Amino acid sequence: MLLDYDRLGWLKVALLGFTALVAAFLLLPVVFIVLLSFGSSRWLAFPPPGWTLKWYQELFADPSWIEAALTSARIAAMTAVLAVAIGLLASFALVRGQFRGREILRGLLLTPMVLPVVVFAIAIYGFFLRLGLGGTTIGFVIAHTVLALPFAIIPIATALEGFDKSIEDAAIVCGASPLQAKLRITLPSIRIGIFSAAIFSFLASWDEVVVAIFMASPTLQTLPVKIWGSLRSDLTPVIAAASSLLVALTLALMIVTALLRRKLQT
Amino acid sequence: MSVEVQQGIATPRIPAGLGGLLPALILIGLFFVVPVLALLLRSVTDPALGLQNYAALLGDGTYARVFFNTFLVAAVVTIVTVLVAFPIAWMLAIMPQALASILFGIIILSMWTNLLTRTYAWMVLLQRTGVINRGLMAAGIIDQPLPLINNLTGVSIGMVYIMLPFMILPLVGTLRAIDPMTLRAAALCGASPLAAFRRILLPLSLPGIAAGGLMVFVMSLGYFVTPALLGGTSNMMLAEMVAQMIQSLLNWGLGSAAAFILLVVTMALYALQLRLVGSKRAAGGA
Repeated sequence: MLLDYDRLGWLKVALLGFTALVAAFLLLPVVFIVLLSFGSSRWLAFPPPGWTLKWYQELFADPSWIEAALTSARIAAMTAVLAVAIGLLASFALVRGQFRGREILRGLLLTPMVLPVVVFAIAIYGFFLRLGLGGTTIGFVIAHTVLALPFAIIPIATALEGFDKSIEDAAIVCGASPLQAKLRITLPSIRIGIFSAAIFSFLASWDEVVVAIFMASPTLQTLPVKIWGSLRSDLTPVIAAASSLLVALTLALMIVTALLRRKLQT
Repeated sequence: MSVEVQQGIATPRIPAGLGGLLPALILIGLFFVVPVLALLLRSVTDPALGLQNYAALLGDGTYARVFFNTFLVAAVVTIVTVLVAFPIAWMLAIMPQALASILFGIIILSMWTNLLTRTYAWMVLLQRTGVINRGLMAAGIIDQPLPLINNLTGVSIGMVYIMLPFMILPLVGTLRAIDPMTLRAAALCGASPLAAFRRILLPLSLPGIAAGGLMVFVMSLGYFVTPALLGGTSNMMLAEMVAQMIQSLLNWGLGSAAAFILLVVTMALYALQLRLVGSKRAAGGA
């Protein structure tokens, strides 16, 4: 009976009550930060004495915030393109290849997701210091692609595993070259996986803090580095304004994802 | 004809397979494996050849305290996360679709929201004059503001918040895979709800709990951002100490050794998790 929603009885009330509490806990910081960004108190008093848009004005008046956001977007876009391209090739090999040590290689490629980021951060920081790649866009993109690769491989490999290869073979029988068959039959069929991979690898870079803190230079800062710096000095409401825009972006991304998934699936 | 077809399928497989892996292997080999190995090397050569960095780390009370804090917080966070996540995952697995979609939406929103944004919110919420302390004082529950930030309490609250989705989502899968009939059968045979929970639902969901719990524990051990922002300077955690040794103290030898200890512990626990659930599910657990 415990897995029948309609027959739980009193337990259902208790469990739903608890669920509602946890949902509130999960929503609390997100909603709070958005409300705070419109509050007029510089000292973050809540509920705020009045409402204002001045923190947003301050945010947009400061070119360093805009520049950091653009830097982040540029690095995340390059990371997503690289991670999806490399991940796509790797996924075909991991799913279809029949060589020894395949599972070990899969494990190796997914390790950056498991290793604490701080270990990778100082390792790549030390390495790039010697190569002269510290504080460069290319250094950022390489480091973030390493971190994003697992997030590209997992959804693509999963989609590829669910794809019936005999359809691709049928295309080849009908005269398509293996490459044509892959490009025109297989890739469109696993587009949801590729799309998820692009979103996840973009986010993996866009939200990445730890490597970015080490890698950043005074002239090259991503948005998380800029927020990190501000957080360490004071809790100005301008951070709340920037954060609220990030929340809006997350919401937009969720909606686009949901819509696209629905569209791609039909 | 059939011979031709088989060739068409069979020939590209093996060479194309390995060739496709090449870019990924070059990237990971050159920019992941090599730097991490260089770090390991540095931990035994900087400032001089030998194990003195490890001896310093393991022999000093200050560092012992950091290791203790790290494991304590990771353990507390894991236990609380499991206890809170289980009922939610349970409800999510069986509740009507419409309600479940809303709840999933909330979980995804919290998970996808920028990490620093979430941590910033907790910094403001938990501070001495923050909403939580003021609310509790207004309600007459406490007289003095509780010290909720710059200590391990704050770190634990912030970490549970971040880890919850990572526990809930895989657990929903485990619970959905359980056939409701087994529980109906238990009820028919006279088992009380408590007995059915203890003897059927809990044991059947244990693999999911173990896998998710281990993942949360591993992630908590190496977490940097939340402890650095919500924790205090006197109660550091391992990842924070590693970053500080490199960034502020420029002590590469000691920092590399501490990082390597973190790496070994994490990888050992990850191997354990692979044993428990198999490689694909362990890695795709999130």
